[in-house]
Amino acid sequence: MTEKLPPIYNFPPLYTCQPNVLIREQQLSTWCDLILDFAKTNNAWCMSQEGTVIKDSESSGQSIFRNESIQRSISVPFRDQIWNKMVQSEKAIKSNNGVFFILWRSVDYWSSQILQWFETTGKVNQVVTVYELLEGDETLGWEFHGMHPSLCEESLQKLRDRGRATLLKEQNKIMGVKVV
Amino acid sequence: MGQKGSKIEVTKTDKAILQIKLSKDELHRYTRRTEILIGREREKLKALLREDPKNGKKNPRARILLKKIHYQNHLLEQAADQLINLENLVSTVEFKLVEQQFMMGLKQGNEVLTKLNKEFSGAEDLMDSVADQIAYQDEVDQILSSSVVGGFEEELDRELQQLDQEVNGPAHEPAKAEPNLPSTEGLPALSEPEAEEPQQEPQSDGRQREAVLT
Repeated sequence: MTEKLPPIYNFPPLYTCQPNVLIREQQLSTWCDLILDFAKTNNAWCMSQEGTVIKDSESSGQSIFRNESIQRSISVPFRDQIWNKMVQSEKAIKSNNGVFFILWRSVDYWSSQILQWFETTGKVNQVVTVYELLEGDETLGWEFHGMHPSLCEESLQKLRDRGRATLLKEQNKIMGVKVV
Repeated sequence: MGQKGSKIEVTKTDKAILQIKLSKDELHRYTRRTEILIGREREKLKALLREDPKNGKKNPRARILLKKIHYQNHLLEQAADQLINLENLVSTVEFKLVEQQFMMGLKQGNEVLTKLNKEFSGAEDLMDSVADQIAYQDEVDQILSSSVVGGFEEELDRELQQLDQEVNGPAHEPAKAEPNLPSTEGLPALSEPEAEEPQQEPQSDGRQREAVLT
């Protein structure tokens, strides 16, 4: 899973927290790019704090913070620093249960993609369920297919704020959406 | 939130469609799960046969597995049928909504048309009256044009000729014909032009009087 990452991933000093502030900043942003790259190539929407990809609410695969080929891994405090940086630079959203949504595209991008889907498929003014939007056959081939429902909710909220969508709730859970 | 939510209306049909679609999603999820299950069981069965090629066929576990697979397949087919039913239902409802819109449009169009038609109720009288007016106009035109054609045209011609003579001189026309005429040298002076002038004068006087009179 980590094979496709750029060669910097195999650079041993990257795994120790650098004392110099400037260098550390550089190091943190390199890690952010690595995580984004990693999430994008693996089509991962969520990652655990340990750095593993979460699919269907179970984490699988190896952690990005552990590099077996050079026998290095990142310490817990530095790992948290990286996550802080990710959240600060709006590359990730931290959800309640310690899971991070990786935004290899911004939420705005996703919401406009969803809107585009609604418009090109003529689903405007129709009720569409979130499941249909993310798992249905009609969104196959769209980038947001398979997106995590929570992240989708986030994007739909944006559309609602723009006055383009209404969210239909069922048992206090957003289940459907109607785009105008 | 309330303000933005109220912008887009959520009707009862929307909620009903949502319910149908939710159950459709549930079926979709079920078919997916079953498909995965069948795949896994098939793999298991294959592994079982590979492990024990001789007695594998008689192994009761293999038989049970195959039975299970068949059963799951049966369920899967049923689920697919139901899924199609639900999808049909959703599209029927959506089509009905479109039809409703169509009916509304038709109704409104009809209303507007009847309202407009009411305004045309006096059309026949109006057309008759317009025809009358046109006929009258033609009559008036004819009267006017025939009265103009009287002696007025001739008078105009005469006045034009007189003006022409005043501007270009009385010798204007004869001057053109001069080369063809025989020489007048040695002939006594003609008294004709003098005699002509008094003849014309009363005419012009008469016209002036006419103009004053009118």
